[in-house]
Amino acid sequence: MNASRTDAEAVRPARAAPTVSEPSPAPRRLPESVWALALLAPSLLLLASLFLYPLSLSIRSAFTERGGDGGTGNFGRAFDLYGGDIVFSGAVACLTVAIADILAIAIAGYLTLGRNQTAVAWLRWLYRWPLFIPFVVAAQMMRSFLAKNGLMNNAIVGLGLLEPTQTVGFLDWRGVIVTFVWKQLPFVTLIVAGAMASLDRSMIEAARNLGAGRLRVLIEIVVPQIRGPLVVASVLTFVTLMSVLSVPMMINAGSPTMITVDMAYRITSLSDYGTANALGVISYLMTAAVAWLYLRQGIRRDGVPP
Amino acid sequence: MIRKLSMLMASAMLLALPAAPGSAQTTLNVATAGDQNMVDYINDYLGPKFEAANPGVSVVAVGTGPGDSGSLKIFEKLDAQAKAGVEAWDVDVAVVHQRGAAQMLASDLLAKYRDEIATGKLVTRDTADNALGADVGGYVMPMFHSQIAIAYNPAIVPNPPKTYEELVKWVADNPGQFGYNGIKGGMSGVGFVMGWVEAMTGESEKLEKGPYDPALKAKIEEALAAMKPFNAGVTMTPGNAGTLDMLNRGEITMGPVWVDMFYTWVADGKMSPEIKLAIIGPGLPGQPMYYIIPAKAASQDLARKFVELATSPEVQAEGIVKRFNWYPGIDAPHVQSQLDEATWAKLFTDVTPDDLATKGKPFPLSDYFTEILETYERVAN
Repeated sequence: MNASRTDAEAVRPARAAPTVSEPSPAPRRLPESVWALALLAPSLLLLASLFLYPLSLSIRSAFTERGGDGGTGNFGRAFDLYGGDIVFSGAVACLTVAIADILAIAIAGYLTLGRNQTAVAWLRWLYRWPLFIPFVVAAQMMRSFLAKNGLMNNAIVGLGLLEPTQTVGFLDWRGVIVTFVWKQLPFVTLIVAGAMASLDRSMIEAARNLGAGRLRVLIEIVVPQIRGPLVVASVLTFVTLMSVLSVPMMINAGSPTMITVDMAYRITSLSDYGTANALGVISYLMTAAVAWLYLRQGIRRDGVPP
Repeated sequence: MIRKLSMLMASAMLLALPAAPGSAQTTLNVATAGDQNMVDYINDYLGPKFEAANPGVSVVAVGTGPGDSGSLKIFEKLDAQAKAGVEAWDVDVAVVHQRGAAQMLASDLLAKYRDEIATGKLVTRDTADNALGADVGGYVMPMFHSQIAIAYNPAIVPNPPKTYEELVKWVADNPGQFGYNGIKGGMSGVGFVMGWVEAMTGESEKLEKGPYDPALKAKIEEALAAMKPFNAGVTMTPGNAGTLDMLNRGEITMGPVWVDMFYTWVADGKMSPEIKLAIIGPGLPGQPMYYIIPAKAASQDLARKFVELATSPEVQAEGIVKRFNWYPGIDAPHVQSQLDEATWAKLFTDVTPDDLATKGKPFPLSDYFTEILETYERVAN
């Protein structure tokens, strides 16, 4: 009995402590949450008015037929006319991400493991430049660089490596990928190089001491540790590429092309917002799928998203 | 105290602002669809001329972008103001394409002004009354006419194809040497496709004048299906400028271009003067750009004066023909008398007035136009 009372007493202070001390912090806690809400409000408002509201309008328009009734006719037209373009867009974005990832790992790997300090310094200075160039400028530059008789081929012919008749223009899907990779590579590299720089170097040193080559250290020790940031960079790159209009429009003439071009065309030439919005919804779904894959992978690995 | 004083000064300055220029300043807002050269034309040439003749008026030109989308933006702006019940719209004069004008007329957004201005009598051409089947007579004044033609390199092609059928054979013999920009990269490609449909269906009369006949659907589809093998042998170019670029770099030897754009590039040194133009039979489309005055434009009278100046024979000769290489909007004889022989002849070096009269076609009616574009995507890609 006594013991149980002591128990109860021993327990009570611990439980009672918050109830006793509650009255004094309570008036402070309320304004805190108000403050938190007030701080959040601008971004929530922005999110609601500039993202959620247009998103809902866009989805509604996608499911509105030409006569004004609800229906899936716009999606039928989108898949019928632009099915190939939808696949093309996804494929171009995926291929770009893959190439950019490989090159970014190579560049960041050299920045981390390279021994020639001059080369490392030059590379570090050089690789970021395309980051500051807008897509439309990159596209215009590539348009004259990659053309059949463009700067690149003229230089190759000038060096005597090819005959003028042997040159090929790259103003098609290849040109789009070259431009995308050139433009997105610094972004992926920036993230990957940052992650590599913050790694614990003792593992790298240990592997080197045990005789592993630098390539092996990169692939087996470094890359597995920066998988999280690499995936983040890839997802962000994919989403960015799905929204670029200027590059496919200026470089990839003809068909198939990316769905941003089709969306612009439906609106500008045919004033057909329904089909354009249907294509938009398809593009949200594609980016959402990528984001979901990434979140799921993060949860499975660590229990929480990275 | 200091804060109060500065507040007072600031409000005094704000109050003083409108009165500052001395005389009352009126702004005439001109919105123009089309390429940058349209904005340049108003900013560099027409605007200053109008301001000089009308002291106290300043002309502000806004470009809304090339192609029908540029006209669509102007339509959307006017339509929004009409629906919002605004009494004085902030566009006084607009320059739009045929489809844009037809769309604005259908929504009652246009003022009927042509009979009220002195130059209204100087246009008799059918495109002044008929915009892709819509009766726009009285509501528009053509600013200029533009025409699509095939540009070719005579050093490589001394005898260019004269008809679409000859072109098909030529492309089969010279794969990759003909280039055009499809239907998503600008109107020169769209026009080439429209010309193809007219040539292959042989129904130009119906396509241009109507009435819309759903029975033509099958014929259009057949004509465009025949374009698929043709497209396999051509080079797709990125845009109107892309065709000119590739011609200039020698990557293609032939392709459809806008005549005025071509001459401007030659004049700017961006295009080899060796390249020549021809209109292939049965014809290629061309189109006017129209001056329109919105029904509730804020400055109705000034807007009329502006269009009157813009369509006067003197301005049409000096501005439209001489400086910008466009075909005149008003009837040619009124303009020719204002120009020296050489300037007039330069406009018709490759494409003769006779070619223009027989092979310069309007675009098909809106309904056919849309149908051809949709069918092209389905069967010709």
